Amino acid sequence: MQPVVHFKNVNKSYGALTAVDDLDLAIEPGQFVTLLGPSGCGKSTTLRMLGGFDSPTSGEIYLEGKPISHLPPNKRNVNIVFQDYALFPHLTVGRNIAFGLELKGMQHAAIHKRVTGLLSLVSLQDHAERMPAQLSGGQRQRVALMRALAPDPNVLLLDEPLSALDAKLRQQMQIELKSIQQKTGKTFIFVTHDQEEALTMSDVIVVMNKGRIEQMGGPDELYARPRSRFVADFIGQSNFLEGAVVSVSDGIAAVEWRGNVVHADVNGTSPVPGERATLALRPEALYCLSSKPEGRPALKGRVDQRVFKGAHTTLTVALENGSSLLVQIDPVALSHIEGDDVWVGWRDRDAVLLAN
Amino acid sequence: MRTYFNDLPKTALGASYWIFAVYLVLPLTLMTAMSFKDANFIAFPIGNWTLSWYAKVVQDKQFLEASLYSIGIALATTVSATIIGVWIALLVSAENIWGKAVIFALACLPAVVPGLINAISMRIFIRTVDIPTGTFAIILAHTVHAVPFVVIMVLTRLRSMPANLVDAARDLGADPFIAFLRVTIPYLMPALFGGMIFCVLTSIDDFVRTFFLGGYQPTLPMLIFAKVQGGMSPEINAMATIVLVVTTAIGIYAEHFTRRSRS
Amino acid sequence: MLDTTTQPRSVGLPTAPRYAGWIGRAASSGLYRNTIGLLVDSRRVRLAVLAGVPLLWIAMLHIGPILQMANISLLANYPPQPDKSSEYTLANYGLFFSDRLYFVPFVRSLVFAAVVTISTLVIVYPVAYYVAKVVQPKNRMRALLLLLIPFWAGELIRTFSVIMLLANRGALNVLLREFGFIDRPIPMLYTFFSLSFGVIYLLALYMLLPLYSAIEKIPTPLIQAAADLGAGPFQRFRRVILPLSKDGIVSGCSLVYLTAVGVFAAPLLLGGPNSVIFPEVIATLFHGSNDKWPEGAAFSMIMLVVSLTTVGLFMRIVGGRSVRLM
Repeated sequence: MQPVVHFKNVNKSYGALTAVDDLDLAIEPGQFVTLLGPSGCGKSTTLRMLGGFDSPTSGEIYLEGKPISHLPPNKRNVNIVFQDYALFPHLTVGRNIAFGLELKGMQHAAIHKRVTGLLSLVSLQDHAERMPAQLSGGQRQRVALMRALAPDPNVLLLDEPLSALDAKLRQQMQIELKSIQQKTGKTFIFVTHDQEEALTMSDVIVVMNKGRIEQMGGPDELYARPRSRFVADFIGQSNFLEGAVVSVSDGIAAVEWRGNVVHADVNGTSPVPGERATLALRPEALYCLSSKPEGRPALKGRVDQRVFKGAHTTLTVALENGSSLLVQIDPVALSHIEGDDVWVGWRDRDAVLLAN
Repeated sequence: MRTYFNDLPKTALGASYWIFAVYLVLPLTLMTAMSFKDANFIAFPIGNWTLSWYAKVVQDKQFLEASLYSIGIALATTVSATIIGVWIALLVSAENIWGKAVIFALACLPAVVPGLINAISMRIFIRTVDIPTGTFAIILAHTVHAVPFVVIMVLTRLRSMPANLVDAARDLGADPFIAFLRVTIPYLMPALFGGMIFCVLTSIDDFVRTFFLGGYQPTLPMLIFAKVQGGMSPEINAMATIVLVVTTAIGIYAEHFTRRSRS
Repeated sequence: MLDTTTQPRSVGLPTAPRYAGWIGRAASSGLYRNTIGLLVDSRRVRLAVLAGVPLLWIAMLHIGPILQMANISLLANYPPQPDKSSEYTLANYGLFFSDRLYFVPFVRSLVFAAVVTISTLVIVYPVAYYVAKVVQPKNRMRALLLLLIPFWAGELIRTFSVIMLLANRGALNVLLREFGFIDRPIPMLYTFFSLSFGVIYLLALYMLLPLYSAIEKIPTPLIQAAADLGAGPFQRFRRVILPLSKDGIVSGCSLVYLTAVGVFAAPLLLGGPNSVIFPEVIATLFHGSNDKWPEGAAFSMIMLVVSLTTVGLFMRIVGGRSVRLM
């Protein structure tokens, strides 16, 4: 299938600062793609280049196979939902949504029909005559979304559109956004720094850092098999174990770590015995026992700190080898109070080796 | 005791406000009162009261002509100063323009040059480029004087404009010109309105520029000035009072409008 | 669920195109696309349109007249005769220093403007402070509006109205005589007193607005904190309020000074033979029977340079960042 959006070796620099560094990215049609990363990682610049508000320093962007790098925004069939919505304050909701349609030369009757249809998609059909200032944050968000969808773009771009909403409303809008995307079948490219948002909605997440793609894949894949320390750290929480590779067999690497030998999935890397390696380990992948388990690897330690977090409880376990690990346990577990001796371990496949 | 000492400065401040307000209003009130004096000289006490001066003024062909002339000049000034002012403000607020601070400072120059110098330099200028004194020269000078204020008002408003409003319009298919017409101009409307009222009032009020650049046809201030020099009578007061009432009404309406559109 | 067409707003209105207004229709027409539409696509054209008119206007009408004035001030004879080449000379400037008739009104003008500026500041400061800090916020605009009303009347009318108050048979003299304080009217009109009175009356607004906006920006908790730390009213004023309103003082004083230096209508109506100030001198050089433009231009240049330099130095010394005009 031809990708709907294709960045080919795109670079963008502002003077000495490189915002986007040799970006190569193909996006399949109909997907919900999220560009995820900390501020300054180049995700917004990428979006602005696609929208036409910045042009690449070098490289080319293709929209449905056609190069668009030097087309102005008004000549691209791509629309943006802006961070603070950018609704026109002097136009009614209806006329905001009609804005793009009017410029396409559509007649009143056709516009009216389309506006009404779009508004009913988000249950705002009786708000067409309101001014943006009279709407709540969530309603504005929906109007901005419908305004961007109205001209029937190939690709819809969303620039952190949920950041201005409170937590409850944000979760609700995440579900709504996803369902609108599925209903319309359009390609959504969503930019955020919020990993939870990315995990909830995306078909594909593109993690960016310092202008480059760190890793790209489905939410579960990124979570379970982070390729780099950055990804493992940015999405969810991780323990990082740094040691030296001892041996590799059957996709499992044995790593010497502070006098212990621990195991981890090679995770697509090709470790060489003797070289340094980093393991990533999710707190919830660890098990914690009061006595040394039979036939399973475990490291001895003592509970240093126990924090109740509602859905789970987090332990900081100080290991005998001088290091400490974060472990997630059942929130109502009665055992493992501070000062208790515990045995901590994990299944070999639950830890992953990171690329150096 | 304590409250007494705390209130003392407050009372003094309140008194200073009211004394100042009386200071501002009193001369104009006296001027208005004098317009009802039933005698052909200006002196207190007023004695008998009459409306005859008003009857005389509203039938005075000179006064009516001067009024129309002043209004015409004010409207022409307003249109040209608004267009030029917005244009300059857009240039100053645009991205990637070299020397914006210098352009802005020069755009404001006529506002800091003393009015007399402004008038004289314009007088010299129109002679150099062979424009006769008269209507066009007056409009030109009034426009030069009003432009800096329009620029400042429009720039203030532009700075409060969310940057991505224009981006949103462009994104939805508007070219830069359409985005300007459909988004920027409506957003600027309150500032434009305020600027226009300012232009009208300063143009109608202007004396020094008209004095140096005017032709034979007098504007309202020139007419009043000529009458004052020709000998004072309550007729002048009646004229001035009519002008005062009209300009104040415009001013109050503008205040009211800008405050309403702000909330 | 409501249908949008039955909204109260559209009742009674014909179903005229609410959507697809004229700008939209024009913008999507082929005619527009092939003309303006093509032009604005080019960045170079856009820049040219954006910069062309403003730069031309500023160069022609903001800078041009002053340059031309400077030029003429150096000419030996004006207008230049066709058969004689126009020579440059400094004689026009020399005239200024050589004749007391010109020099004295100039100094008088500068002193006059400075006195007016200081008086206006002293008079207006408590008023601005009262409106900005003492009046309840909901009444503030009304309190300000009362002071603004007189300023909508023009320069000439306000100057004229001062005559009503100060003339020999004006309100003040008549009142004083009624109460028996004086036998003969005090001649107040056509003196420096009436001139200053009128000019302060004219320019108080230029002081009021910058002061008001500067004082209003001072956070009230800051003043309360000063009081809490033991500062009395005078200490609070001197050490908190005054330094924080410096910006307003600088812009207010600059505006009033620059306007007072070039005030023109007021001396014509309120001034007398003993209060001739420089603008009148300059004006006679242009309007007199034998006009002397080069001399007038030279004097204007002197006035422009000296007044702008004074204000510039004042701003530098007092340390305000910049003059805000509004």
